[in-house]
Amino acid sequence: METLAFSVFRFLHLLLMQTPAESRLQRFEPSLVNFMMVSFLLFIIGVAGVLSRRNIIIIFMSIELILNAVNLNLIAFSRYLQSSQEIYKQSKSIVVSPLTGPVFTIFIIVVAAAEAAIGLGIVISLFRNRETVEIDEIDLLKW
Amino acid sequence: MFQLHGWEALLFYFLAFMTLVMAVFVVTARLAIHSALFLVATLVEIALLFILLRAEFVAGVQILVYVGGVMVLFLFVIMLVQTRAEEESRVRLYNSQSVFAYIVAALLAASFYFAVYPAQSAFRPPEQSASAAAVEESEAVQGGPGLISKDTQNVGETLYRQAALPFEIASLLLLVAIVGAVMLARGGNQENGENGFE
Repeated sequence: METLAFSVFRFLHLLLMQTPAESRLQRFEPSLVNFMMVSFLLFIIGVAGVLSRRNIIIIFMSIELILNAVNLNLIAFSRYLQSSQEIYKQSKSIVVSPLTGPVFTIFIIVVAAAEAAIGLGIVISLFRNRETVEIDEIDLLKW
Repeated sequence: MFQLHGWEALLFYFLAFMTLVMAVFVVTARLAIHSALFLVATLVEIALLFILLRAEFVAGVQILVYVGGVMVLFLFVIMLVQTRAEEESRVRLYNSQSVFAYIVAALLAASFYFAVYPAQSAFRPPEQSASAAAVEESEAVQGGPGLISKDTQNVGETLYRQAALPFEIASLLLLVAIVGAVMLARGGNQENGENGFE
């Protein structure tokens, strides 16, 4: 059992530790498109959760999923399209500063924390008044 | 040009798959507690993806603030407002518009795909060009996997120099949020002593 695991590990190690130029797996290495795909699938899952659940706390958690998808997208863009100052001036493709992603992401995390605090305060007030957290039952303003 | 090689590529695929699986469980869990724990798992895996992208400071902030602050707050509130209704199957989980929600989400996915697909070539790594080979990695991502980049120093410097004004506004926003959350959760009858908190 151990020799099987060891041989699998050694095979993977030999496969993955080739230099990038000669690697047979180079077309499978993740590029920016792969990160964008992960981020956008996470966003879609968050949107589906926001629109389809009844419990308001799960709706809040789906909103956090959406924000995290955006964070991942920002940092992936900032890391993959980064440039140092020398090629920034002479480059024709899209280049961004490598600090844009992390700094903006930190502010998004701060805003998400503030929003979660206020939102959950509202949920507590709502529960205190209406004894329910299902959004379908909070319909006093409906026609 | 930044590129993930070797073991990092395998780790990316594993983390991406696990993130999406955990996110689906967040959205489809029956109990809110389970959904919160799955969200904790998702956030931790996104922090691992951040570390893979050499953004260690944001990964640390995500784990400390998002998982350690926001999710703990979620768990407290879930425990305060739980009604045991989902557990005993007395309540529906999905509202009456959930089918249309999934259709809209699928349409959104299709619109993203068609928006990104013509521009895909701009996001792929370029072939070996002279300028790309000359400045292979910028100073922020020195070293291979396992070495910590200089991202933390650079982000810290940026937050205190170029981004100092948003930084101060963010702390003001947090102060307002704290005061507002305490006001909302305290109840209006605190002074009269009717709320039972004193």
